[in-house]
Amino acid sequence: MTTLDTAPPAAPAAADVRARTARAWRTLRSSRTALVGLAVVGVHVLLALLAPLLTSYDPIANDPSHVLLGPSWEHWAGTDQYGRDVLTRVLYGGRYALGVSVVATVLAVALGTVIGCAAALRGGWFDDVLGRVLDAVLAVPSILALLVVVTALGTGSAVIVCAVAVVFVPQVVRVVRGAALAVVPADYVTAARARGEGTWSILRREVLPNIADVVGVEFAMRASWVVLLISSLSFLGFGADPPTPDWGLMVAENRTAITVVPMASLAPIIALATLVVGLNLAADGLSKAWGVDRIREGS
Amino acid sequence: MTSTQPMTPTEGEPAAPPVVSVDSLSVSYRSGGRDLPVVHDVSFELAQGRTLALVGESGSGKSTVAATLLGHLRHGSRLDGGTVRVAGHDVFALPARELRRLRGGTVAMVAQNAGHALTPSMRVGRQIAEAGSDVPVLDLLEQVRLPRPADLARRYPHELSGGQQQRVAIAMALAARPRVLVLDEPTTGLDVVTQRGILDLVAALRDELGLAAVLVSHDLGVVARMADEVSVLRSGRVVESAPTRALFAGAEQPYTKRLLASVPRLTDDGLALVGDNGEREVRARAVVDADAPVAVSAQDVTVDYGTARAVHGVTFDVRRGEIVALVGESGSGKSTLAWSLAGLRAPSGGTMTHGSGDLARPARRRPAALRRLVQLVFQNADTSLNPRRTVGDAIRRPLRFFGTAPDRRSAHARALDLVRDVRLDPALADRLPAQLSGGQRQRIGIARALAGEPDVLIADEITTALDVSVQAEVLRLLDDLRRERQLACLFISHDLAVVRGIADRVLVLRHGVVVEEGPTEAVFADPAHPYTRELMAAALEPDPDARPLVEDVPDWTDAAQPGDVWTDHGGGHRVRRWRPADTSDTPDAAVTSVSEGVS
Repeated sequence: MTTLDTAPPAAPAAADVRARTARAWRTLRSSRTALVGLAVVGVHVLLALLAPLLTSYDPIANDPSHVLLGPSWEHWAGTDQYGRDVLTRVLYGGRYALGVSVVATVLAVALGTVIGCAAALRGGWFDDVLGRVLDAVLAVPSILALLVVVTALGTGSAVIVCAVAVVFVPQVVRVVRGAALAVVPADYVTAARARGEGTWSILRREVLPNIADVVGVEFAMRASWVVLLISSLSFLGFGADPPTPDWGLMVAENRTAITVVPMASLAPIIALATLVVGLNLAADGLSKAWGVDRIREGS
Repeated sequence: MTSTQPMTPTEGEPAAPPVVSVDSLSVSYRSGGRDLPVVHDVSFELAQGRTLALVGESGSGKSTVAATLLGHLRHGSRLDGGTVRVAGHDVFALPARELRRLRGGTVAMVAQNAGHALTPSMRVGRQIAEAGSDVPVLDLLEQVRLPRPADLARRYPHELSGGQQQRVAIAMALAARPRVLVLDEPTTGLDVVTQRGILDLVAALRDELGLAAVLVSHDLGVVARMADEVSVLRSGRVVESAPTRALFAGAEQPYTKRLLASVPRLTDDGLALVGDNGEREVRARAVVDADAPVAVSAQDVTVDYGTARAVHGVTFDVRRGEIVALVGESGSGKSTLAWSLAGLRAPSGGTMTHGSGDLARPARRRPAALRRLVQLVFQNADTSLNPRRTVGDAIRRPLRFFGTAPDRRSAHARALDLVRDVRLDPALADRLPAQLSGGQRQRIGIARALAGEPDVLIADEITTALDVSVQAEVLRLLDDLRRERQLACLFISHDLAVVRGIADRVLVLRHGVVVEEGPTEAVFADPAHPYTRELMAAALEPDPDARPLVEDVPDWTDAAQPGDVWTDHGGGHRVRRWRPADTSDTPDAAVTSVSEGVS
């Protein structure tokens, strides 16, 4: 968070950024949780990106001659009922899961953070009205809300991203607003106000760095929930459309054949589980390493 | 551990007088895998009816020592050696049940912030009754001199003032008729007048009940007034122990001398500069040019919080190079006034003007050039700096924001200059606030305020949270800076001794009304308003034999009338009209008897 707002044109600032990067790396290295989590997520990202190089099979082309095969040297995880290589589909499936989830989470957390901080900073009627509106949105169960949106607007990726953002923003706002409320009365915020700085500038410079750990943890939790939610949507048939390789969809397609080719269902489940665990570990460890531990380093 | 004697709680007092005896006590605190000694080889004895003061700056271990009398060690602390005996019992060898009986029964503690020590959801009377006493609650409340005890016992803690809460805490401590009272900074955070009342009460109760008292304080004025003996602590070691009078008359250790010399006094007519061996040199006040331009002018300013009026028609000017002090108790409106000037709270009436613009508008609507010229320094240096940004960053921001430094490189250089200007090592600029001491942080707060090159500096209780020696340094810095930069400074404080040393003029505020104002010398030489006299009478000097600056404080009522508010004492010293409370029913007679020259 803190490295974002100092671009390094001049020499002293560059040294400053180097020092910060060094410090960030040092604290990061001290957190095993963060390293393990990052590694797991990193592997997922790499596999998704390099999927075309790692496998020569096509993830969507049917091959009636190789239907429902068990694991072998040709097909490590076997094939499904249309003769598609399961491993290939799992690798390509990461692209959809990661892409949509990351975009949706970033959108939800970013929006929620800005709105939450602004509510804490402005207070007054803005805070009151926002609180009531968010209460109303929170009262609707998230999967239900998503289903309604997707049914009404179709199942495109953009629709799902927006719908997920709308569903998760209120929860992020709640948490972030609470954290920001503890920071806003501090004298350094008052000093910035007396200086006449704008709301956005106070937010970015004074409030955000002090709630970075909360936002980090929030990102971790939301990311794993979003991955699961989007996979659930696919499983229910409201997410990715059938030929697309997607983990939720794969489970839905192959669960009828689970006794014949168990790997066809298990492989996407394992992929999903490792991604969620990795996300949790990574963001949780990161927020601790960069948030809580830096203060401890100071004292 | 030494062997404990078999206990005989029903027996009378032991023959040997010391009721408390601490013998080479050592305590360490475990942090980051290392043991840090907090208290090292501390010994003292205390007889029934006597008061011992543990004095020291923050981090000296004084509170840790006091807590050991109740057999308490903070979490993570460990007893390394030594014994603490209270009424014949070794408190660290007592079984838990006996220790509980000792606490409250034999030793009782009054903590610093009574507001936090009382349960908010329980009526005061029930809380006192819970302290397990045979003495009726109402008698206890009467004993701590609370008016209308029956009514008070039915109230909740938040319905009481700070002083009343502290009295309730004392009543709870006394409930089980202890023999030793441990007072941990009992009056820190209270107003001078309230503090005086609490101290008088504690002294009276101590004599009445024959208590032994251990008083923990950083305030040498409190110690001089209360204690029979003093132990000066520094970094967990006893630097010097002596009877109070001997210590204040002639301390032997340089540290004690420096500490004593750092305390500002009501009799100083300038800022005291303290040498390494505690020699004091009072620097004459800076002379403000007679034709110095007025930097800030406030006329009839009123500030409201909803329907409550915090400031009623206050008028003052501050000239370049002049320090004007606003003095008053908490709730007198002095900080509200400062925040209004800084543009954080719009005034509801009157005018505030600066040489280059109108200050009645909130900061956001002031032109940047004007915002730059009026800067605020905060009371609490711990919260005035962003913990996530280096202090250099904190100073660079206003430099860039106000455009004082045109580019990043010059901002960096200017920030280092400013750090140097507040007498700090520029290498500190790369540190985070948590890596600095309180005094260093307050200096950085001043440097940040100076970054905009202001001509008006508002200092809101800037030394209140600091240790006395650090306070002296920060005051000196402020005095130097106003000389160097011809700053117009509004200095807000509740401490008259501090004001006496640094301010050129004084305004005494009470409930948002100025009751007396004038040149510092004139006001201190002849405090004419009863409220000013009351404040001065309550101020404590670091000298057990000090005579109060004023003796008599008459009862009074306000007698100001529209168009006839002030009594002029000449030379800019004027006093709000008042009259003795019950001499006359006709206000006119009283007014004429007091007034001589009409302003």
